[in-house]
Amino acid sequence: MTLVFHNLRKQYGSHVAIDDVSTVFQPGLIHGIIGPNGAGKSTLINMTAGSYLVSGGRISLDDRTLSGLKKYQIANSGVARTYQNIRLFDQMTVLENLEVCFYPTQVGQVWREILWPPFAAKRRINRRDVCMELLSFFGLQHYADAEAGSLPYGRQRMLEIARALVTNPRVLLLDEPAAGLNHHETTELTARLAELKSPDRIMIVVEHDMDLVMSVCDRIVVMHHGKLLFQGTPAEVQASSDVQLAYLGTANDIDDIKTAAKDRRAQLGIRARRRT
Amino acid sequence: MSSVDTSVQMRMRGGRLLSLLILATAVALIIVTPFLPNYYVRVANGLLIYILLGIGLNIVIGYAGLLDLGFVAFYAVGAYTYALLASPQFDLHLPFLLIVVIAAAVGAITGILLGLPVLKMRGDYLAIVTLGFGEIIRIVINNLDWLTGGPKGIARLDKASIAGIELARPTEIYWLLIVVVFAVAIFVWRMEKSILGKAWAAIREDQDAARGIGINTTNAKLAAFATSATIGSIAGVIFAASQRFVSPDSFALQESVLIVLMIVIGGIGNILGIVIGAAILILLPEVLREFAEWRILFLGLLMIVLIIVRPAGIVPRTFGPEKLIRGLFGK
Amino acid sequence: MLGILIQQTFNALTIGAIYALIALGYTMVYGVLRMINFAHGEMFMLGAYAAFLALTLFVGDIGGVGALALTLVFAVAVVGVGLVGVGIERLAYRPLRNSNRLAPMLSSLGVSLSLVTGVQIMAGPQPVAFPSFFPATRIGILGGTVTLVQIGILVAAFVLMAALYVLVNRSRAGIIVRAVSENRSTAQLLGINVNLAISLVFFFGPLLGAAGGILYASYYGIMTPTMGAVVGLKAFTAAILGGIGSIPGAMLGAFILAFVEVAGTALLPVLSGGLLGTEYRDVLAFVILILVLLVRPAGILGEPVSEESMVYKREF
Ligand SMILES: Nc1ncnc2c1ncn2[C@@H]1O[C@H](COP(=O)(O)OP(=O)(O)OP(=O)(O)O)[C@@H](O)[C@H]1O
Ligand SMILES: [Mg+2]
Repeated sequence: MTLVFHNLRKQYGSHVAIDDVSTVFQPGLIHGIIGPNGAGKSTLINMTAGSYLVSGGRISLDDRTLSGLKKYQIANSGVARTYQNIRLFDQMTVLENLEVCFYPTQVGQVWREILWPPFAAKRRINRRDVCMELLSFFGLQHYADAEAGSLPYGRQRMLEIARALVTNPRVLLLDEPAAGLNHHETTELTARLAELKSPDRIMIVVEHDMDLVMSVCDRIVVMHHGKLLFQGTPAEVQASSDVQLAYLGTANDIDDIKTAAKDRRAQLGIRARRRT
Repeated sequence: MSSVDTSVQMRMRGGRLLSLLILATAVALIIVTPFLPNYYVRVANGLLIYILLGIGLNIVIGYAGLLDLGFVAFYAVGAYTYALLASPQFDLHLPFLLIVVIAAAVGAITGILLGLPVLKMRGDYLAIVTLGFGEIIRIVINNLDWLTGGPKGIARLDKASIAGIELARPTEIYWLLIVVVFAVAIFVWRMEKSILGKAWAAIREDQDAARGIGINTTNAKLAAFATSATIGSIAGVIFAASQRFVSPDSFALQESVLIVLMIVIGGIGNILGIVIGAAILILLPEVLREFAEWRILFLGLLMIVLIIVRPAGIVPRTFGPEKLIRGLFGK
Repeated sequence: MLGILIQQTFNALTIGAIYALIALGYTMVYGVLRMINFAHGEMFMLGAYAAFLALTLFVGDIGGVGALALTLVFAVAVVGVGLVGVGIERLAYRPLRNSNRLAPMLSSLGVSLSLVTGVQIMAGPQPVAFPSFFPATRIGILGGTVTLVQIGILVAAFVLMAALYVLVNRSRAGIIVRAVSENRSTAQLLGINVNLAISLVFFFGPLLGAAGGILYASYYGIMTPTMGAVVGLKAFTAAILGGIGSIPGAMLGAFILAFVEVAGTALLPVLSGGLLGTEYRDVLAFVILILVLLVRPAGILGEPVSEESMVYKREF
């Protein structure tokens, strides 16, 4: 069981965000994707989860082609994700945020659930048990009845990961799970991620926090300007001079930010007008 | 921790009193109303029909977060279904319950046919398409004279009857409506609590994230739309049976907007809120007869103010029926 | 035959030009806020009433009034409605900018209802005869009759649209509006005054809508407090047809819709053997709307957008 990118490509208008990326993700490992801002990491996640269409190439899980399927179909083939900008169901309770994930498997018998209260009660208890267990794993059990949107930021991040796990997905995609977390929360996250590793799960983590990446990931893919720059173990990545130059080099970093800003400006069709 | 506990307890006790008060008032009103003069019973019937419409539309707006501005079209579909199948128009006189079933089916099918092309796309378009659909239905009814009687409408509809019991006088219609409103409210409430209801909530909160957890949003929205249309259609049947006359005047564009208003003011996504909203909408003009036109201006402004300062409406979503029941038993 | 064709073409152009003026407001507002402004049809209605008010206040009897005075009345009315639009956005929409998608639309529904009822209370619900801003002279062109009113409407509408085009594409104001339409959060990051851009849209959109209302009332010689509903709906259809958010799209959609309507009204009774009369003209617009949504939801000139890029909740 593997997740494979075959010559993947993504274009936004004329801007090439992902350029001919091919790689393989193995189960039982945690894969990191790193790279400077705008390198295309989120785009990879979004294409895998079906949020964005691919412009070229193919994504496959086992023998099944994922690219081209609808987003909900991809989710139902066992791909779950979190978002770089947290996207919870804010006005639902923490528990409901998880429970709703049972929809794909339970909607078939929804009439019975509506019309036959004992069946509904059984289902409710069943859902609750599974979800409470997950909440406890992330230390969220006390928040179960709170509105998701009212949680502290760090808890929301955890909740989003918990939501992705309800269906016990074969592929777990995490887009910057540590973004905005404090040191203590990051440590907690690192521990949870390590525990989530399982022989039949492919885990992919996009992250800027190098300590987290280096300590938890087994394999790392380095993206730069939409291209796959390097892949290897954490040690190999740290040793690679290419990576150091592209990613860790400070001078280059600023350049990258400038280019990214310029790209955006060009997209907007704004001439660089100065206020007089 | 202990201070939290006591505050919760205190709120519970207050909640219990409030629940008792609300339920007692409701029961008293329900029982007393049929003994009042006919005028009041008719007003109550109007109120109950609007509650039914509100419950139906609320599924789409309050639960799934989609704006349907042509809801009255389904109401019209139901009313005309009754008018055509139980009147001298074509000399058809089908039994009331059979017509209810037929109208429910016609409503659901219309809802699905209309929803199918639209719900796949952005939610916003639904508002405009349903608005258009409401207009189409009105124009068709107005102009298809051979079928609908045109602007004159269809008169002398049959009296409704169930198992030989005639339902024609205001009190009889009243009890019919009470039963239907309760049945529909309970059904819809159970729907909201089911996994489908949770999916609707997720779609309302963030449609794309809902897709991301494997929800086929088109189907879930279609289910909401069809259920809502069915309820609107059933309300139309009862309306037609109680008036024993239908004409296009009852199904103007503004009616749809008023029902939306009623939901938003009362408390979006909440059955109890709908009752309050309907009461404001129906009772206000009865109280302020001379200011009939000011009423809509007032409601319009009230809605804007409420959306801004109290988006949850008068009765917030969280104060649902289960809260009342729980409050009562002190759980 | 040629005469009829020319006459009908002018009819379609006139209606199309009016639809276009209104559709522009819908499309611009949708562009910056991703909301359907249900009160926009009322800007159209307000335009007619404002012009009527200005006329009675400043001019009195319309007979014998010079073109300059009329132009001034027109300008006062449309600018007035533009300011009303800015005020409405400030009071009823801006506080809701970060709430859910439904809230501003519901608010605009409340605004629409309040405006219609407000005008009904103040000016009465009955239709009011509207004095034409243009002389009713008829001109024969190749056997068809075209009125000066139609030509006046076309000229006025095209002047306004050209002005808008220049404004949007050549001025600083236009650039910030376009930037905000393209991507609000990025525009904000780049230091663009988003509030200003939105206010501009809520000035020019209602302004054009009001102009449409005055021209429409001139054309049909009548105005009612509810005139905004159906015309507004059609203009919105035009905006979707052309591709919502696209300014040229709105104009294109408006003219296509007008031509289909005029052709349909003329042909429907003939084609259906008298079964469907001209009353179904309004139905036609909505049938087109549904067909467009089925076949090409992004509209003729619109870019297909994924829901993902439309989310403006908590972007940073
Ligand atoms: N919806 C979009 N439309 C147009 N361009 C986009 C879009 N999303 C991303 N891009 C562009 O594609 C490139 C890659 O973006 P992406 O979000 O994948 O980067 P990233 O590696 O995740 O960066 P970050 O670390 O900042 O999250 C960037 O140049 C970005 O500007
Ligand atoms: Mg990213």
